Parts: sequence; structure tokens; C-alpha cells
Amino acid sequence: MRKTTFPAVLSTFFVSYCFWILLTWSWATEELIAGAVVSLAVALFSARFFIHNKAFWFFNPAKFFIFLLYWVIIFPVELIKANWDMAKRCYGGCRKVNPGIVRVPVEIKGDYGQAQLANSITLTPGTMTLDICEDQGRDYYYVHWIDVAETDRDKAGDIIKGTMEKWLRRIWE
Amino acid sequence: MSLTLRIIIDVFLAVGAFFALAGTIGNLRMPDTFCRMQASTCIATMGLLGVVIGGLLYSIFIMHSPSTTVKIIVIGLLVFTTNPVGAHAIAKGAYRHGIRPDKEMEIDDFRRDFDE
Repeated sequence: MRKTTFPAVLSTFFVSYCFWILLTWSWATEELIAGAVVSLAVALFSARFFIHNKAFWFFNPAKFFIFLLYWVIIFPVELIKANWDMAKRCYGGCRKVNPGIVRVPVEIKGDYGQAQLANSITLTPGTMTLDICEDQGRDYYYVHWIDVAETDRDKAGDIIKGTMEKWLRRIWE
Repeated sequence: MSLTLRIIIDVFLAVGAFFALAGTIGNLRMPDTFCRMQASTCIATMGLLGVVIGGLLYSIFIMHSPSTTVKIIVIGLLVFTTNPVGAHAIAKGAYRHGIRPDKEMEIDDFRRDFDE
């Protein structure tokens, strides 16, 4: 089991406190003190699950800016394209489906990056991550794909991941 | 000004409803379990996004209520972060339980690597 370190507690405390302020949205002294106590308790218990390696990685402004850019512009564009495709399929009577499960390679390293890429793939309609495995030093996702356009694994990976992987590597590496 | 704003908000709500309806139709008519789950992703992404943006504009410019705005943002964040985890777990559980589509899949690496 991981150790609870002070930097991990500090950054977890910061994130929990931000969420407390967002949820209560009041600046009264009692509320702020109560929030600090609750956040500290939460941070002490959950820091070792929340922080895996570098504690202050996320407070780097450049990384945070690319993170926001990814979730506000890059990802929604992919999302709208995939949704439009899926909506056409649904309104067209659901006949044009050709499902399959493909094992695609993942270039990105580290827990956070891989988790976020898997979540992005699952969130875009038409592809869904089932499992992750490691084989001879490389990581692979098993992706359920509703319209298998390419049976070669590497090319299928390029189509499924699109531009998302490139941007996530800029954030997490 | 107010009328234009209302029209913009209604357009966002209508886009959300359009994609949610697409997801519902797909949920009912797709041929197998996994395709049905794929269709339901439409509801949780584009349907939610349209409705959340519409509600956000309404709460900022018409209700003038910061706490409602923040709560709408938190709802959006929570659904966006928890939905893929649930979808992944349900799909993997269904596959491991032995649920297979009626029609043979085009390519099935999961069966190749894990099925005995």
C-alpha cells in the first residue's frame, strides 16, 4: 500500500477545498473553517488513492492550460463528430452496424494519462474501452467498436484514438 | 436582447433533446447488448452537454444566480467523469458473464486472448 505523504495531502486538500467552496458558494467565516476541517479529514484519508506520483504536477500553469484546452476545444470536436455519426445510425434504423472488439496499442505512459485516454474513448459514442493489458512491454486496450472499418490493429488504433492521444501525451508526459 | 437569448437557450436544449432521442431509439432498436450501450453514450455526452449549456446560460443571464450556475457545472463534471467508468465496468462484466451478440463479430480479440 502507498504511503500518505505531506505533498499529496496538501494537493488533495487544495482540490477538496476548491470543491467545497464551489458547492457552498458562501464566504462566511464559519463555512470556510468547516470546509477546511472537512477537507483536511478527506485529504488525510484519501491522499494515497488520489495522488500516485508527482503531487504538484497539476498546478503547473502550462499543463493546466493544455488540460483546459483539451476538454473545452479538442475533445468536444471529436465528441460532436462521433455523436453526429451515431445519431445518423440510430435514426437510420440501426441496420448499419458492424461491431467488433479490437486490441489497439497505447503509446501513452502512466496511470493518469492511460485512464484519461480510456475515458475519452468510452465517452465518444461508437467506441468503448473494455479492458487494458500489458504484453511484452507495451500496453493495449480492448476497444469495442461499433463499425469496424479497419482490421489492422495499428491503423484501427489511429482511427479510434484520433487526435486525442497526441494532446493527452502533451499533458501527462 | 432577451428574446435572442431565449432562442439561443432553446436551440441548445433542442440539440440536447435531439441527441437524447437518438440515444433512446438506439437503445431500443440496436441488435445486441454492446451496441445498445454504445447508443446510450449519446445521451450522456451530447444530450447532457446541450442541456447543461442551455441551463448554464439560463442561470447566468436570466436567473442571475451564481449558486445554480455552480451546481449545474458540478452536475456536468460528475456525469462526465463517472459515466465512462460505469460504461466500461458494465460492458466488461457483461462480456465476462458470457453475453455474446447473436451475429458473429467482425473481429474479436478479447475472445482470442482470454477465452479458454
